Amino acid sequence: MGSAIGLGNIWRYPYVAYENGGGAFLIPYFIALLTAGIPILILEWSLGNKYRGAGPRAYWNLSRRWEWVGWWQVAGSFVISTYYMVILGWVLAYTYFSFGTQWGSDTEGFFTGDFLGVSDSFWSVGGFQLGVLLPVLIMWAVVYWLLARGINRGIELASRILIPALVVMILIVVIRGVTLPGASEGLNVLLTPDFGALATPGVWVAAYGQVFFSLSIAFSIMITYASYLPRESELSNSGLIMGLANSGFEFLAALGVFGVLGFLAVQQDVPVTEVVSDGVGLAFITFPQIINELPALNSLFGFLFFGALLFAGLTSAVSILEACVAAVREKFDLSRTMALNVVCGLAFVVSLLYVTKGGLYYLDTIDHFITNYGLALSGLVETVLVAWILRQVGPLREFINEGSFISVNYWWTIALNVLAPVALFFVVGFSLFTDLTEAYEGYPVSGLVLLGGGMAVGIIVVGFIFQAIKWRERRDAS
Amino acid sequence: MGVGAWIMLLFGATLLWGGLVFFVAYYFRAGRR
Repeated sequence: MGSAIGLGNIWRYPYVAYENGGGAFLIPYFIALLTAGIPILILEWSLGNKYRGAGPRAYWNLSRRWEWVGWWQVAGSFVISTYYMVILGWVLAYTYFSFGTQWGSDTEGFFTGDFLGVSDSFWSVGGFQLGVLLPVLIMWAVVYWLLARGINRGIELASRILIPALVVMILIVVIRGVTLPGASEGLNVLLTPDFGALATPGVWVAAYGQVFFSLSIAFSIMITYASYLPRESELSNSGLIMGLANSGFEFLAALGVFGVLGFLAVQQDVPVTEVVSDGVGLAFITFPQIINELPALNSLFGFLFFGALLFAGLTSAVSILEACVAAVREKFDLSRTMALNVVCGLAFVVSLLYVTKGGLYYLDTIDHFITNYGLALSGLVETVLVAWILRQVGPLREFINEGSFISVNYWWTIALNVLAPVALFFVVGFSLFTDLTEAYEGYPVSGLVLLGGGMAVGIIVVGFIFQAIKWRERRDAS
Repeated sequence: MGVGAWIMLLFGATLLWGGLVFFVAYYFRAGRR
């Protein structure tokens, strides 16, 4: 069940590493992985496995008063799913555009103009963008179909086929990337260590942030998946394997990304630092540019790259929605199909917001606020709650060790009791400080507060509302 | 590529992929017992 690999691996890590000391970034990154990433991952696996349920149920079983934390995380996942599906729609469209490089030579103009038709200001919503709506609809249909097939025949089957395919595709992209003329320029920029950067606190915050976001912690996904595993399953080794696989994958993808960035820089005769970008800009503006410049097989390369993004995103989208579906199903004792219809239906309606001409602004704002104040903050609450308030680290450690070949020892206790909460505190504090001192992306403050802040607070409120609702008696109550 | 870049490449590859191979191998070995 490897759904940690998502879009963030491919388009976030390379840029973060480059910004924060290049090759030297690996050191704080690896430390963050060992002290926070993998320990929290193992914690979530054990929570879900021991307390038998998706996020809310697991927290409820842990302590009645803290069910809202579970709903908070589920609500966060729900919000993420709404725009994640839209990005998947874009990726699908671009997979199609790769054939014959239909984006033309002005890739930026094509993306914001022809494709998204971005409106000139934040508050002008504009109408629906039909060229975007269609692929988004297709992706919703695919995801719904996978979820409707159930855990084993849908999600597991999809992961089993898509993940290996993804790895093969990325390998081809990487091999092609590092053998292009100029690739070494790019790799130099990515890997040359700047050890001075290790003295900067910002670099450490970035390392913890990256590890945290890319492992899909605090989405309630891992708790949900672990609840499907038999009791006393192998938990600690799975956590280690997953953490390392995820990081190994993003390290690999970074080589490919910077290889082709070096190539682009040489083609355009500019330094590599001029062409570096991340996220949406990297995937939909810079990459099409690179594909245009390739000597041969442009369409195939484009297809492989966007196909890989599509597969990576698809497995993640399915897992994010599954976390919501499972939570709703357990709370209201619904059938799987019913819960699926409710969650997907609602998420679909909300996702239409981002299909409008102003959609890119809303998507960007929501994404920024949910990652910083939805995920990181709820992750902080999660670790503080389990470690400090309920003091569950010891009992959970015993529980894990009953079923695992590799015992978790004192480093796990220390990591969860001290290192992870402190690190997360700094991650949240750092982004809060930045957001208070400057408006994100220069968007209007009214928009940021209303959409971003409103949403961040809203999902906590949702948490409390759902806690107030009584659990429907389970038909199979024992 | 500079020497520093090569060293970091090897460092990252060893820790991440080496670690992964190690634990996967461990998983299968322990699983058979």
